[in-house]
Amino acid sequence: MNSVSVLKFSFVLMIFLVFASQFYVSVTSAQVSQNEASSALTSAEESVVSAYQAVSKAEESGANVSSLLVRLNDAGWFLARAHMAYKSGDFDSALKFATQSQEKLNGFVADADALMKTAIREHYLDFMVNVVGSIIGAIGVICVGFIVWSFLKRKYEKAGSMV
Amino acid sequence: MRLHEYRVLFIVAIGILTLLVASPALSRLLVPPRTEFFTELWILDSNLRAEDFPFNITRNQNYSVFLGIGNRLGYCAYYLVEVKFRNQTQPAPTSFGPPTNRTPSSLPALFNITAFVADETVWETPLTFSFDYGFNETLSQVEFYNLTLNNVKVDMSGYTITWDSEKGGFFGYLFFELWIFNATTSISQYHERFVGLRFNMTVY
Repeated sequence: MNSVSVLKFSFVLMIFLVFASQFYVSVTSAQVSQNEASSALTSAEESVVSAYQAVSKAEESGANVSSLLVRLNDAGWFLARAHMAYKSGDFDSALKFATQSQEKLNGFVADADALMKTAIREHYLDFMVNVVGSIIGAIGVICVGFIVWSFLKRKYEKAGSMV
Repeated sequence: MRLHEYRVLFIVAIGILTLLVASPALSRLLVPPRTEFFTELWILDSNLRAEDFPFNITRNQNYSVFLGIGNRLGYCAYYLVEVKFRNQTQPAPTSFGPPTNRTPSSLPALFNITAFVADETVWETPLTFSFDYGFNETLSQVEFYNLTLNNVKVDMSGYTITWDSEKGGFFGYLFFELWIFNATTSISQYHERFVGLRFNMTVY
């Protein structure tokens, strides 16, 4: 009789432990997912901010950043969706969208830097040709005009004295 | 032939030629500095006009508008548009008066839209939305379930509108507050402007 009740108790305990372990595992995995989603969101936000700073610098140097802004806006859209999913407790989607946001910005800072360097080079060339070049050209025109006038004046005086 | 008679003509010709040669430099140096820095925010109907905005809303029907931002700040800006909804009694944002009096609505944002806009450019996006709501006959109020904005479903549970006996309708306001990211402090601040749409939520 005793052995039967021990068996029954063990059976019930076993079933309880099986259920409890499943519950424990699901809670743990949910927490891991939330942590993962949270850290993915933070790093996606940081990526967006660094990308924004890079694009701002590139624009400041005169680069055409329209193609970069398309990518940045796409990344921003995914980040917004990640935030929304996180707020509603959908951590899987939050993680997915945060990752997609980061993927959009792969190599973004390097691209922005390259654009900035090209823009600086072009700006320098533009300055040398259009500003320095045309000022030197204008001074040249005045000098040539003065020389031509002096030459004509001398020629005119010579012709006058000969007459 | 008297050379003196041509002196003025010669100087004028040289002057014109000098100006022509110097014009690329002058066009860059003689640019008046920008003195006004601001942001434009607008909302247009589905035909990109300001005349046919949705007003009478039917449950689960799609409506389209365009939201636009024009950046005249002198630098590439990182904007955040907070999409919010309120009824007649809930707090609205403000965009007039002294800057200290311009405040955002204290209501939580249903959704955020980020927009990176280069200086002197315009960003415009279509917004398609629909409301899922029901009419609670006991409380005589409209109760919201979801807002679907550009295929993204947003939970609106807890949002209600009571009957406006004065104007005769269930009136709600979907509004878009403009926030701007401050690179120095790394936080977004209310950019003192918003646009919104007024709706009459039809229940039958």
